Parts: sequence; C-alpha cells; structure tokens
Amino acid sequence: MQGAEYRPSAARAPAPAGGLPPFCSAPTLFAVMVVAEMVALVLVLAPLPVADAEPWLERLGVVSLYVQWLALLNAVVLCSLRASLQPLATTTGLAIAWAVSVAVTALASLLVCRIDQALGLGLSATPEQTARFVLSNALIAALLAVVLLRYLYVLEQWRGRVEAASKAQVEALQARIRPHFLFNSMNTIASLIRHRPQEAERSVLDLADLFRAALGNDGQPATLASEMELIAHYLRIEQLRLGERLTVELDAADAPGEFALPRLLLQPLVENAIYHGIEPRAAGGTLALRVRRHAEGIEIRVTNPLPEGTPTPRNRMALANVRARIGYHFGVHGTLEVAQGAGLYTATVRLAGKMLR
Amino acid sequence: MKVLVVDDEPLARERLAGLLQGIEGVELAGLAGNGREAIEQVVQGMPDLVLLDIRMPLMDGLEAARHLATLEAPPAVVFCTAFGDHALAAFEAEAIDYLLKPVREERLRAALDKARRWTRADAPALDGLPRQRRSHLCARVRGNLLLVPVADIHYLLAEDKYVLVHHAGGKVLIEESLKTLEEEFGDLFVRIHRNCLVAIAHLGGLVRAGDGRLLARVTASGAELEVSRRNLPALRKLVKSL
Repeated sequence: MQGAEYRPSAARAPAPAGGLPPFCSAPTLFAVMVVAEMVALVLVLAPLPVADAEPWLERLGVVSLYVQWLALLNAVVLCSLRASLQPLATTTGLAIAWAVSVAVTALASLLVCRIDQALGLGLSATPEQTARFVLSNALIAALLAVVLLRYLYVLEQWRGRVEAASKAQVEALQARIRPHFLFNSMNTIASLIRHRPQEAERSVLDLADLFRAALGNDGQPATLASEMELIAHYLRIEQLRLGERLTVELDAADAPGEFALPRLLLQPLVENAIYHGIEPRAAGGTLALRVRRHAEGIEIRVTNPLPEGTPTPRNRMALANVRARIGYHFGVHGTLEVAQGAGLYTATVRLAGKMLR
Repeated sequence: MKVLVVDDEPLARERLAGLLQGIEGVELAGLAGNGREAIEQVVQGMPDLVLLDIRMPLMDGLEAARHLATLEAPPAVVFCTAFGDHALAAFEAEAIDYLLKPVREERLRAALDKARRWTRADAPALDGLPRQRRSHLCARVRGNLLLVPVADIHYLLAEDKYVLVHHAGGKVLIEESLKTLEEEFGDLFVRIHRNCLVAIAHLGGLVRAGDGRLLARVTASGAELEVSRRNLPALRKLVKSL
C-alpha cells in the first residue's frame, strides 16, 4: 500500500442555507431582547383589574428583569438545541423549537413560584395562583414564540435568498473570455497547423489552460503567479495572431507571486487593452503590464495606446465586470481606476489584504 | 476568378490564401490588411471577389463594402468573421455570402461558386447594412476612389448638388448633401453657414473682417469662412466652450 494518497472526495455537504434561524447569533439575541422588553412594557402599561399602588417604574424594573431572564433562558436553550434540530425538516424543527420555548417558560415560571414560596414573599401563595401564573406565562410565551419564530424564519429565508442572488450575480460575472478570442485563436491554430505544427500545439495548450480557468474547474486556488502565467499564455496567442503589431512590455520582477486573488481577475484588463487599444490601430502598439508590491498588497497597471481616428463607443461591460468582482472579493480594499491622456489609456488595480471570500 | 483577401491578421490572410491556392480557376489578386488598403487594391487590381474581414483597423469591412459599392463595376463581396456579429444578421439576407472563421474549404468553395454566378445586376443592396458612422469619405476621381479620413477634414462647403471637402491633403468633390453629412457627423462638425460645416477639431475661433462681418478661422489652413447671423449664437457658445 502506498501511503494514504487516496481520500474520499465526497466531503460532507455543507448545510443548505435557510432552515432554522441562527438562535445564537447576536442579531437574533438582540431581536429577542427587544421583543421581551416590549412585552414587559405592555404588561406594565396594561390597565390592571385592581388598583395597584406600586410605582410603575419600579414595576417595570421587576417585570423587565423577569421577562428578560425568561427570554434569554429560552434563547440559550434553543441555541444549544439548534445543532440537534438542524437535521430535521424546517417545519418540524420550528415546531419543536416552539414547544421547547413554551415548556421552558412554564418550568421557569414554576421555579419562580417555588422560590417565591420558599422566600415567603407571598406573590403566589395559593396553588391556584401558582397554576394561573404558570399557565398565563406559558400562553404568552406560546403566542410570542409563534410570532418571533415566524419573523426569524422569514428573515432567514430572505437572507438566504439575497445571498443566493448575489452569489449568482458574482458567478454570472465570472471571468468571461470574448467569444471572438476563441474563434480568432482557432483560426490562428488552423493556419499554423500545416507549416508550424509546434506553435500550433503550444497554442492549443495555452488555449486549454485559459479556458480551463475561465470555465472554473482547474481546482487550484488562484495566486498572482498563476494569474500572470495565464496572462502570459493569453498574450502568446495574441502575439501569434497580431504579429509585429503587438509589443508587450512586462515588468513584474517585484510582484509577490503568492498573493491570493480570484482566477482571471486581471486577464480581462489585458484583453480589453488589446481589443480596444492595439487591434484598432493599423500600426498596433505597446501593451505595458506592470505589477508590483503596493502597501499590503499589489498594484497592477495595464497601459495601451488609444485607438486612432474617430473614437468608437467603448464597451464598458468588461470594466464594470472586473470592478464588481474586485468589490465582491476585496470590499473597500480593492480598487480599479482608469485614466486616459497623452494618447495612452491606463487601467490600475490595487488590491490589499486578504480576499474576503 | 481574381480574389482579394482582406484581413488584419497575417495568419488569417495566409490561411485563406493557402486555401484559395488549392482551388482551381482561382487566382489570388492580393492581400490587404484593412479596409483602406482593400479599396486601393480593388481600384488597382479590379478583382472579381473580395473576401472581407469585418473588424479591422483604420476602416472596417462593412464601411469598405459600402465604399466599394459606389464603384462603377464593384467586385462581389463575401464577409469573413470570427464570430456571428449582429451587424451581419441584418445583412445576411442581402449578402452574396458570408464565411465564419476558421473557414472550411467546402464553405469557401460554395461561396466562390455563388460569387461566380453573381452578376452586377444583383449587386448587394448595401442599403441593408446598418448605417454606422463612416471613418472616411469617399470621392470618385477619374474612375478612382479617393478616401479622405474624416479626422483630416477641415471644412465642408456645399456647391450645387456637390460638397467640396477641404482636407489636410487638398480638396475634393463628393456627391453627397451637406444635410446628410451633418446628420452623420453632427458631433464632429458645426454649421456656420447655410452652405458650410466646419470640423470642431480644426475650429480656431472667430475673427472680425474689415467690413465688420464675423468670420470663422480654420486653424490648420488659416482659411476664414463667413458665418451667417442665424448660426452665430450657437457658434459663439461653442467657441467659448473650446
């Protein structure tokens, strides 16, 4: 046996989004506490059948303390039960959560009565008073739990949907290589194949690498070094196609190759420079690609000459796409700036820190 | 049959030329790298068929085809493109044919057959082409086509049913109306008179003549052109914003 090379690839599937609300999360706890305090206020403000001499502020303090204690107790219990409820169907899980919170409230109320009796404070002297106290608390808990669980459930569903939508959006933004490029490359290869088979073969390999990356299943985390390699493959194909019209100046000696970034984040900028800058010029031009360390990250600058003659409307899709992906993966720590002047068009990307996702 | 191959990529030209060599009865008339070169070569070599790439620098294939159609004996045109341009969709019905790159030899043969049967009578109705803005104006000079890059034009002067184009290389008459030119290039030219459009890029300002009339000055040639009272306010505003 040759070591433990083989690992079953079927890792446990991550729990699907949605399902039970996250009872332990801070926003949920906050919501629970706000609702509890509102209940306390309602209880204090509600007109009582008997005239009560107790000052309302004092009463609010006692009631708040009790209700908050109950609410947090419920939250803690549900939080610890969540893991075991998770595998169940969502409706079953919610029903159990509801029953648990009613039971917890009833038991806690009973406990309070017992303490009261032990201390002899006389709030619940008779067994009828105790029974009534426990029952009404349980009923209030039952009603509130329905409302609160429903609210949390809807919130969770909404969050899941928003997440799925933004994920779909980012997936739709995944690096797209222009179909023109594919067919032009195929045409280049078709012309090379007879007389320059080695170059044809190399182009096929370069093209395969590019499309493997674009179709998103090369299975490797992307780094600056791997991105630069893909760009080199891309440029090699374009060099064959455009011949002496394309001159590439690469300055990446200082680039931190291990910097992590999404796959094919930068290639579209290079493709744009060729498509809009070099190709429309009869004499072609120089594409300059400069990558260097910048603060806690990297700075990439792609420069190309502006097309001559009457300007054609520029398709801003690719830029918007790159910008959206930078925003998604780096938040405020990633920027894309474009500038033009002195006959040159420059796109500058700055990325700092770690990829957020 | 003489065939001209037009493509901005050397390898793409090479491949088409190679394919044509293997087809009997076909003679390669030449190679061109953009629309302008294509027109020059057509005028010189009078090919029967032009294989025309769409996306090219200086002048694209669609514009080249439109200029070629103004010739007295235009060649047949077959477009070649790498990917289904939507521009072609509109043209499909009226084109002799169009080829997708990489071009298959059978498809090329079929297109050549169509071109052989094609006669001047059913010249392609190039009006079907999308009316995108041209990069050049095209004048017929003694049977030749003279191309003037729009960026080189200083001003356009209407004369009867012609327009006199004053450009960096001299002046030339074209058979178009000032009105349609203004519609096509409205953002590059400004009307200063009923009979005159001046390129905004070459507009140097306003000067007062000895008799008090205002004249617009063209920087490149130093020409001074009469401004009509009707166009003066808009022109003043434009000069100020320059």
